[in-house]
Amino acid sequence: MLRQSLEAGEATVRTGNSSTVRRLKTPLGWPWILPALIFSVGTLYYCIGYTGYISTLDWDGASPLQEPAGAANFVHLLHDPIFWRSILHTVIFAVSTFVLQVVLGLVFACLLHSKLYLRTIYKVLIFIPVVLATATVAPVFRQIFAADGVLNAILRTVGLDGLARPWMANGAFALIIVIIVQVWQSTGVVFVLYYAAVGQVDPQTIEAARIDGAGNLRIIGSIIWPGVRGTTIAIAILTAIGSLKTFDIPFLVTGGGPSYATEFLGTLIYRVSVSYAQVGYGAAISIVLLAMAIVAAVIINTVGRRGEEAGV
Amino acid sequence: MFEIRRTRTRIGLQILLTVLVIPFVFPLVAMVQGSLAGQGWGNYATVLSLPLLPGFFVNSALIAASVIVLVLICTMTASFGFSKLRIPGKEIFFWTLLACLTLPGVVLLAPLFATVTRMGAYNTLWAVIIPVAALQVPFTVLLARNFVDGIPDELIEAARVDGANIRRIFWHIMLPLTRPIMAAVGVLVFINSWNEYLFPLLFLQSPEQQTVTLVPSFFIGQYNNDQTKVLAAAVVVGLPIVIAYIFLQKFFERGLAAGALK
Repeated sequence: MLRQSLEAGEATVRTGNSSTVRRLKTPLGWPWILPALIFSVGTLYYCIGYTGYISTLDWDGASPLQEPAGAANFVHLLHDPIFWRSILHTVIFAVSTFVLQVVLGLVFACLLHSKLYLRTIYKVLIFIPVVLATATVAPVFRQIFAADGVLNAILRTVGLDGLARPWMANGAFALIIVIIVQVWQSTGVVFVLYYAAVGQVDPQTIEAARIDGAGNLRIIGSIIWPGVRGTTIAIAILTAIGSLKTFDIPFLVTGGGPSYATEFLGTLIYRVSVSYAQVGYGAAISIVLLAMAIVAAVIINTVGRRGEEAGV
Repeated sequence: MFEIRRTRTRIGLQILLTVLVIPFVFPLVAMVQGSLAGQGWGNYATVLSLPLLPGFFVNSALIAASVIVLVLICTMTASFGFSKLRIPGKEIFFWTLLACLTLPGVVLLAPLFATVTRMGAYNTLWAVIIPVAALQVPFTVLLARNFVDGIPDELIEAARVDGANIRRIFWHIMLPLTRPIMAAVGVLVFINSWNEYLFPLLFLQSPEQQTVTLVPSFFIGQYNNDQTKVLAAAVVVGLPIVIAYIFLQKFFERGLAAGALK
């Protein structure tokens, strides 16, 4: 059947609008997009719909008892200080990782475009954290920042005993640790993006600026930085989405603690749904997170389009 | 990029670069050093002599391979359809797919758990393969469609004039021309599924079914206070992927950066 209709499509001949060349009609593409639609859209929309349904229930996830709760879960959400703290952590995390990654990534890209020794080795060392799973490196970060850990040992060796402390036990430091691990893991990608973008900057412009007496820093500020604007926007979007999705690092390194100081939306959903068995409430948080993710997706597309139009 | 006229500048920049790279290397050094503390190489002997260890790698490899196959089939057919064929209401379908682009996996936790238990897929690799693959497809389709858009339509028209049907065009024109994007998608999907933590944690209960990302927690359970063995296990798990990266640097960097370049 399908083949026949395709062949029938092929047989139809129409005249192109702009040219006098006779063109074959483009065949129908339904069968080609079906696997992706059925598999991915089917699975994901089914789950999203199901989450929406669960979010209106008072349910522990296992018992057959499912009490309809209406919008109670969402009302609870608005009054849950931990939910608001998670959002605050997400924002702090997004802004600080963005700034650190952009600065480090751009500096590395410029340095490695210079004529220095052993550039491949430096590049590999920056990129290795990207390929390692958070689950694999989490034990070493817990070890470094533990009360009897590597960092305190180093501080004591250099005579800064006063600075040594149980880093993970302090809320502010715990959040900083989560940010550090994220920057450690994703600077490699940001660097590779900037490395490619810096390579695209017209060398003649740089040469001209140099002849006019511009120094290295001036060239980075006035030529490279505007030249890689498109990449910076892409990194901002990536960071925003990545921050909403953050789960592995706070879950594995700090466990969301101490006392919710590193709770993110992902870890909160896990805690509420799995540890507290309030699956209905967890689903309500999921729906809110989902809405934020979709808003982010829409922003990506509009910014992306505008970027393309502006020729970025 | 930096102009280097004097040796002093060169030394200065080289030192700056080295100082900036140290924080990136430090955790790796601490990891290896910590794994050699206490019983030294004995920690590795203990980890490697665990009969369950190869199983973790086999499970991760099976999951990664299945996810790659599923994602590549969906991605290559869909990007061809969206880019080169006639589909009424095409953009609506594309948008339904794109809406899931930023979907965090944790959002699917409750419905997946309920469905997986009901279907008896709990503690099977499928419970991880299906959601991980489904979550990657929107992004890889976006990536591949942009690439396929760059292939001139005339090429396909010419083949059709010569009498090739759509399936032959797909096999003999599309697939050979899209090799670069297939490689990028393959690496991206491989890393994402190999490093996936949440779904194996939720759905794989018995150690015989678990993946490499669960090895550290498994060893924490086994040797409660012995950090050295946990770190040795982490090194054993991390080493193969680092070696793979060093041999295939270009592919890894391109694949993982493709994400942002759209």
